[in-house]
Amino acid sequence: MPLHDISYQHWDGEHLGVWRRRWVIAWNGLTGCLQNRWLQYLVVLCWVAGLSLAAVLFAIGQLLVPDSIIVTWLGNLNPNLRSFAALLTSWLESHPQLSVGTTQNVLFFYSGVYILLRPAIFALGMALPHLVTRDLASNAIIVYSSKAVTRGDYLFGKFATAAGLVLLTWVGPMCAAWFLGNFLAPDWGFFWHARAALLHVLLFGIAATCILSALALGVSAISPKEKSTTALWFTWWVVGGFVALVAMQTRPWLQHLSFNYNLYQIGLAVFRPGGDLNSVQDNIPVFGEMLHNVPTRTLDALNNPPVWSSVGFLLLMLAAAAAIIRKRVKPE
Amino acid sequence: MQRRDSQHGPAMQASTVIETSALCKIYGKQRALDGVNLKVERGAIGLLGPNGAGKSTLMKCLLQLHPITSGSARLLGREVGAEGREIRKRVGYTPEQDCHIPGMVGCEYVTYCAQLCGLPFQAARQRAHEMLDFVGMGQERYRKIDTYSTGMKQRLKLAQAIVHDPEIVFLDEPTNGLDPKGQAQILELIHSLWRTYGITVVVSSHLLHDVDRICEQIIIIARGQVLVHDTLANLKARRRGAAEVVLAERQRELMDACAQRQWPSDLLPNGHVRVEHRADSLNPLLGLLNERKLEPLEIIPSPNALEETFVRALEISHAAA
Repeated sequence: MPLHDISYQHWDGEHLGVWRRRWVIAWNGLTGCLQNRWLQYLVVLCWVAGLSLAAVLFAIGQLLVPDSIIVTWLGNLNPNLRSFAALLTSWLESHPQLSVGTTQNVLFFYSGVYILLRPAIFALGMALPHLVTRDLASNAIIVYSSKAVTRGDYLFGKFATAAGLVLLTWVGPMCAAWFLGNFLAPDWGFFWHARAALLHVLLFGIAATCILSALALGVSAISPKEKSTTALWFTWWVVGGFVALVAMQTRPWLQHLSFNYNLYQIGLAVFRPGGDLNSVQDNIPVFGEMLHNVPTRTLDALNNPPVWSSVGFLLLMLAAAAAIIRKRVKPE
Repeated sequence: MQRRDSQHGPAMQASTVIETSALCKIYGKQRALDGVNLKVERGAIGLLGPNGAGKSTLMKCLLQLHPITSGSARLLGREVGAEGREIRKRVGYTPEQDCHIPGMVGCEYVTYCAQLCGLPFQAARQRAHEMLDFVGMGQERYRKIDTYSTGMKQRLKLAQAIVHDPEIVFLDEPTNGLDPKGQAQILELIHSLWRTYGITVVVSSHLLHDVDRICEQIIIIARGQVLVHDTLANLKARRRGAAEVVLAERQRELMDACAQRQWPSDLLPNGHVRVEHRADSLNPLLGLLNERKLEPLEIIPSPNALEETFVRALEISHAAA
C-alpha cells in the first residue's frame, strides 16, 4: 500500500515555451546517442585529437620565441637546431602575421578539414538511428505529433541533436585547441595574429555542421530499419569518396556526388590555404624555393576550388534530404 | 480531489468540446469520414463502431495527426488545423498501437512526454511518478519499456496521455490486448478520469461492453458516417416493444393468443416465438402468458437502441466489405 496519495492531481503551473521543448528533444536525442559506448570512445578520441593539436600549437609557439624552454632544450641537444630556432624567431619578429596566423590557418585546415572532420562524419553515422529512424520504427513519431510540438519543432530538435554531435566531435575540439594553444603561447599577441584561423574554423564549422546534420537527418528518415540507414550513410561517404578520387581525371563533375568532397572544397574556399602559401612564397625566400617544387596543378586546386559547383551539389543534396523528410516524417 | 470544472476559468467551462461540420477525410478513393456533423458536450464519450468505421480517423483529424480533406472542426473552442500546438497542450492521446521510444525506461519516457507538453523538468518528473502511481505501475517503471507486457504498455500509454493534465483525453482502443482483469482496471481508471477528476474522455472502441461500462454519451460510426449520437441513458431507454419467448411446448397456442390481441408474432428457426407487444414494458406480455397458463423458460426483451444501432453498424460494415 503506497504511503503517499496516488489519486490524480491537477497541475496548474506555467508551461515552458516552444524553444525549451525543442531543446528537450535535442538534449534527449544527444544523451540517447551518447549511451552508445563506442560513440563515447569516439568523442573522447576527438577531444584527445583536439588537445594534441593544442600541444602542436604550443610547440610551434615555443619555437618562435627566443630562450623558450623548447629552444633551450633543442640548443642543448644540437647547436644547429638553436640556429634554426633563431631563424624562426627572426621570422616571427619580421612577419608575425605569417608565422602565427598563416601557420595556424594551414594547420587547422589540414588537421581539421582534412583529417578530424572524418570522426565527426563517423559519429553521425553511428548516431543516425537516434535521429528519425527509431522513431519511425517504433511509431514514437505519433507520440511527438500528439504533444504540444509541431513537426517543425520535432525536426528542429532532431537537427539540433545531429548538430550537437558535430559540435561535440569537431567544432568543440577545434575551438578548444585554438584557445588552449594560444593561451599557452609565450605571447598574448598570438591570439590576435591567429584570429583568422578561429574565424575560419567557426565559419566552416557552422556551415559543415548545418549541412552534415541536415543530410544525416534526411538519410535517417529514409527507412525505419536502423541497419539500412546506417549502411546507406557509410556507403555514401566511403563510395562517394572513392568515386571522387577515381573521377578526378576523367569525369570531374562526378566528384561532386561525394558530400565530403564538396565540404572539402568549401573548406578550401573558407581557409584559403593556397593564398597562405602564396604569401609565404612571396615573403620568405627559403619557403618560396621549397614551394617551387609543388606542382602547379596542386597550387591551382588550392587557389581555385570549384566552390560554386560544390555549393550547388550540396544544395541539391539538401533539397533531396528535405523531400525525404517531408514524405517520411508523418504520424503514419 | 477537485474536479477540473470547479477550478478552471470560463474558457474551460465551455460545455461543447468537439464541434465538427461536414467533416470529410479521404484517403485515395476511400472516404474515411463522410460529412461528419457533431456537437459533443463534456463527459465520458464512447466512439463506437466496427473496425474500419472511421473512429480512429476522426480522432486523428481532431488531433491534427491527419489533415482534414474538407469541412471544419473545433476542439476545445479552437479551430483544428490553425492552432495545433495550443490545442495539443490541452489534449491527451493514447494511440491504438505501441508507440514508445526504444531504449527508454518507463518513468523517463513519461517525464519526457510531460516535458514535450511544456512542463519544467522537476514538475514533469514529479507528475510522471504521480501518474505512474495513478495507473498502478510499481517498480516496473524503472525497467526499459521494451521489456513491458501489453498490460504495462497500455498503462504507460495512459500515463503519458494524462501526465500534462489535459482537459480532454482521446483513448483509441484502450483495452486492446488486455486480460479481463486488466480491462476492468483500465476501464475503472478511465471512468474515474471524468467521474472524479472532470477530464473529458473520448474512448474509441469496437467493443460495446467497454463503452457501455464507462461512457455517458455514445457516438456510433459506420463507414465514416455518424449513425447515432445520444446519451447512453436515452439509447438504453429506447426499445421497440418486442420480445422473444422461449417455450418448451405450445408455441402455436401463444401465437394464436397474440393474433387475438393483434400482436404480430413469428416462430423463429430456433423455436423461440418473437412477439411484438408494442408496449414499453413486458407487463402486457406477462399478463397474456399468465392468462393462458403458459410457462416460459425465458423471456428475452428486444435489444435497446444502442445494441440495435451497433448491430446495424456492423451490418453496414459487413455489407461494404
